[in-house]
Amino acid sequence: MFTERFMKNRRGILLERGERVRLEAAIEDVRTLHPRMTLVRAGEPLHQSLFLIEGIMSRHMDDGNGRRQLVAVHLPGDFVDLHGYPLKRLDHDVGTMTAATVAVVPHSAFDAIVADMPVMARKLWFATMLDAAMHRAWLFRLGRLDAIGRVAHSLSETNARLFSVGLSNGRRFVLGLTQADVAEICGLTHIHVNRVVRTLREQQLCLFRSSLVEILEPQRLAVRGQFDPHYLYLSDATADPSRSERSS
Amino acid sequence: MKQPYQRRQAQMQAGVATAEDGFVIMDGPDGVAVTMTAEAALGTGESLIAAAAVAQSQIARRTDEASGSA
Repeated sequence: MFTERFMKNRRGILLERGERVRLEAAIEDVRTLHPRMTLVRAGEPLHQSLFLIEGIMSRHMDDGNGRRQLVAVHLPGDFVDLHGYPLKRLDHDVGTMTAATVAVVPHSAFDAIVADMPVMARKLWFATMLDAAMHRAWLFRLGRLDAIGRVAHSLSETNARLFSVGLSNGRRFVLGLTQADVAEICGLTHIHVNRVVRTLREQQLCLFRSSLVEILEPQRLAVRGQFDPHYLYLSDATADPSRSERSS
Repeated sequence: MKQPYQRRQAQMQAGVATAEDGFVIMDGPDGVAVTMTAEAALGTGESLIAAAAVAQSQIARRTDEASGSA
């Protein structure tokens, strides 16, 4: 199943088997994508949404000088632009950060789901509300935290999200992003991130080597980044990655 | 434990600047996180010092006025 990670381990919500079968049937195409591709440009009319099966994607906005600010990062199990279904055009671009595999779901299939399965429609709505909750957390991160706090918050969030879909063991995960990517996520320069990564290592909080992230002290890192996973609405089983050591 | 709500106020603590790979990194206060060239950092530093002097003179004038009206 392509969508097995969708809404996995979220509190108070469970995609029933029939709903998942319906979602699978709604997939029109599965595409393998190169890194650093722009898939949706702001303002373009949209007739489909993308479900991320593998890889990392972003929503981003560029300033007048072409400098990029990431406004969301999507991980496997996320609908990248489900909000494009009601909006029909986006106010930001969508692109791949790493190589990725996406399932394409036409909006006409969502029309049918909304008409036939109102409970499932509410679950899809829940997914877009999760995105909104993460946006609020990102605003807090950029508005209130210093450089170390921003990176600590971002890595803690990524760990929690990957843990919920079985792609982190709670302390270790593969992250195919560069420090320059982390800089764009955190509104910093890559020079600043380089310094922060060194500081996190010196403080025995976290190691970030090539594409492997190892969180040495998840709870201390969360405290440093003022990270509270509440906004991710994770099930009790996955709400605290630091308490588990399951293999990814 | 969370502290009670407080409005954002002027910072009492100075930010910390450090050099990294030929650039100046400014951390804090209050979520400031910026990287500057050495030239930009010098300009910012001079501007900060000049503005701080003006702010101190404003405080002194306010204090004088308050004591004169008492």
